[in-house]
Amino acid sequence: MSGMRSITLGHYLPGNSILHRLDPRAKLMGLLILIAALFLIKTFSGFFYFGLFFVLTFVSSRLPWRYFMRGLKPVLYIVFFTLILHFLFTKGGQVFWRFGPLTIEENGVFLGSFMTLRLILLVITTLLVTLTTSPIAFADGIEFLLRPLRVFRVPGHEIAMMMTIALRFIPTLMEESDKIRKAQMARGADFESGNIFRRARNLVPLLVPLFVSAFRRADDLAVAMESRCYRGGDNRTKMRQQQVTCLDYLGVFTTCGIAAAIVLTGV
Amino acid sequence: MLIEARDLSYTYMPGTPFQVEALKKINLGIARGEFVGVIGETGSGKSTLVQHFNGLLKPTGGEMCVEGKNIWHGETNLRKLRSRIALLFQFPEHQLFEETVFNDVAFGPRNLGMSGSEMEQRVRFGLTSMGLDFDTYRDRSPFHLSGGEKRRVAMAGIMAMRPEVVVLDEPTAGMDPVGRRKFMEQVSRLHREEKLTVILVTHNMEEIARLAERLFVFNRGELVLQGQPAEVFKSVSLIKETGLEIPAFSELLQQLRQRGKEVRTDLFTVGDVAGEILKLSREERT
Ligand SMILES: Nc1ncnc2c1ncn2[C@@H]1O[C@H](COP(=O)(O)OP(=O)(O)OP(=O)(O)O)[C@@H](O)[C@H]1O
Ligand SMILES: [Mg+2]
Repeated sequence: MSGMRSITLGHYLPGNSILHRLDPRAKLMGLLILIAALFLIKTFSGFFYFGLFFVLTFVSSRLPWRYFMRGLKPVLYIVFFTLILHFLFTKGGQVFWRFGPLTIEENGVFLGSFMTLRLILLVITTLLVTLTTSPIAFADGIEFLLRPLRVFRVPGHEIAMMMTIALRFIPTLMEESDKIRKAQMARGADFESGNIFRRARNLVPLLVPLFVSAFRRADDLAVAMESRCYRGGDNRTKMRQQQVTCLDYLGVFTTCGIAAAIVLTGV
Repeated sequence: MLIEARDLSYTYMPGTPFQVEALKKINLGIARGEFVGVIGETGSGKSTLVQHFNGLLKPTGGEMCVEGKNIWHGETNLRKLRSRIALLFQFPEHQLFEETVFNDVAFGPRNLGMSGSEMEQRVRFGLTSMGLDFDTYRDRSPFHLSGGEKRRVAMAGIMAMRPEVVVLDEPTAGMDPVGRRKFMEQVSRLHREEKLTVILVTHNMEEIARLAERLFVFNRGELVLQGQPAEVFKSVSLIKETGLEIPAFSELLQQLRQRGKEVRTDLFTVGDVAGEILKLSREERT
C-alpha cells in the first residue's frame, strides 16, 4: 500500500493536451534546454519568469495539481535539507539572527533560497515531462537523443530497451514486494521496530522471495523475447513511427526563445 | 460474532486518478468454528476484504471488529492478532525463503518468541497437519519441492502458529485435481477435528458448495448475497449476473425440480446426488 503510493512520482497520466501530444523527442529537447537555462539564470527575477512559463504550461497540460504536488513530496526533504545547510553554514553579509555559535547571515539566506528555488523548478519541470509522456515514448525519445553518441560506441537502443524494461517492471516489483511483505507480516514478521541491524536482518524474509521472483520474471521475459526473435540495434524498424509535426518544431523553438529571453533578463 | 465488519469500505490510492473503490459498506459476521466461503468474480474485492480480518489493511471507512472490539481503536496488538487469525495468500509458495523446510515453517513460531523443543513441536504439528512427514521434509530445501508440496509447506507455516482462524485466499489455484483434493481434505479435517474457523476464498463452486456452511457473494465491491450454499445457489439469475457459475449438481437438481420432480436441491456431492436420483427413479417406477 505504502509502496504503491510512492510510485506516483513520475507516473504517466494519459491525456490529450498539447503537452501530451508533443513528440517525446521534442519534449526531451525542450526539457534539456530549460534545464540548461535554469543553471544559467543568476537572479530571482529570472526564476520568476521561468515560474510563469511553467505555470502556463502546467495549466495547459490539465494535470490535476493535487496529484502533481504529491509527486513532489519525496523531493521536499532534500529541498528542506539544502535550505537548512545554506542558512546555517553560508556566511557573509548582515547577521540576521544569532544563537550561541549559530548565526544566520545574509548570504546564507540568499543562497539558500536561490538553490532551493532552482531545485524545485528543476524537479517540477522534469515531472511535467514525465507525467505527460508514456514510458515507451520516453524511451524512444532517449534512444533518439543518444544517437549522436553512437560515434563513441554508446549502445543507444540497448540502453533505451533496458530503461523500458526497468520502467515496466517497477510497478510489478512494488506490487510483489507489497504482497510478500504482507504475507510475512501475516506470519508475525516485524518490519517496523528494532534497531538498524535488526531491521536489516528482518528484511531477509522479504528480499529472498523478491529476488527469486525477479529472476523468474527476468527468465520468462528473456524466453518470451527470444521466441519472438528479438534483436536490437542496427536496422531495427519501429512499429510506431514518430512523426515530427509543425507543432513539435514550434514547441522546441518557442521553448528555446523563451529560455533565451529569460536567461538574458536574468543574467 | 468472532469477526465482524460494519459498514466497511476500502479505497485504493484515494485522492489520485488511480483511485479504486474496492469495498463498499460491507456488513458481515463470522462466528467461531464456522466454515464460510467468499465467492465473486475476479476483481470483486475478495482479497481486499480478507486482508482486513487480521489488520493488514486499514479500512478507509467503517469498522473492523474482532470479538466485538474495533481492532483499529485502542491497543489491539496487531502482531498477536495475526497469529490468531492467520492468512494464506494467493500463491503462498512465493513467500518461502529459508534454506530448509524446517526453518521456513518455524518462522511463524519463532516470531511468536518460541525456541527449542516447543518450536520443534509446532513445526511437527504444522507439517503433519498438512499431511507432510516431518522427518522426510525437515531438511529439504523449500525451493526444490513440487508446486503442491510448496503450497502445503506454506500452509504448514501458517498452521504452526496454531491459529484459531485461517483465511485461505484461493489456496488451490493452479493445482492439479489430486493435489487440490488432498489440500482441501486436510483443511476440512482441521476444521472438524481442531474446531478451526475457516474462511475460504475460491473460484471453485463445486468445492465451496460442498465444504462451506455459509457463503458470501461479492460483486464489484458489494456484498450481494449471503446464506447457506443451497439457498445462495437458488438465486440462479443473480449468481449468473455477478459472473459466477452454479455448481452443476445444483443446476441439475433444480432443473429436475422445475420439471415437477420432488427432489432436494441442497446436495452437492456425487454420492448424495446419485442417491437422490435413484430414489426418484424408484418412486417413478412404483
Ligand atoms: N494494491 C492495489 N492497488 C490498487 N488497486 C488494487 C490493489 N489491489 C487490488 N486493487 C483493485 O481493487 C479491486 C479488488 O481487488 P481484489 O484483489 O480484492 O479482487 P479479488 O476479488 O481478490 O480478485 P481475484 O479473484 O482476481 O483475486 C480490483 O479492481 C483491483 O484492481
Ligand atoms: Mg484475490
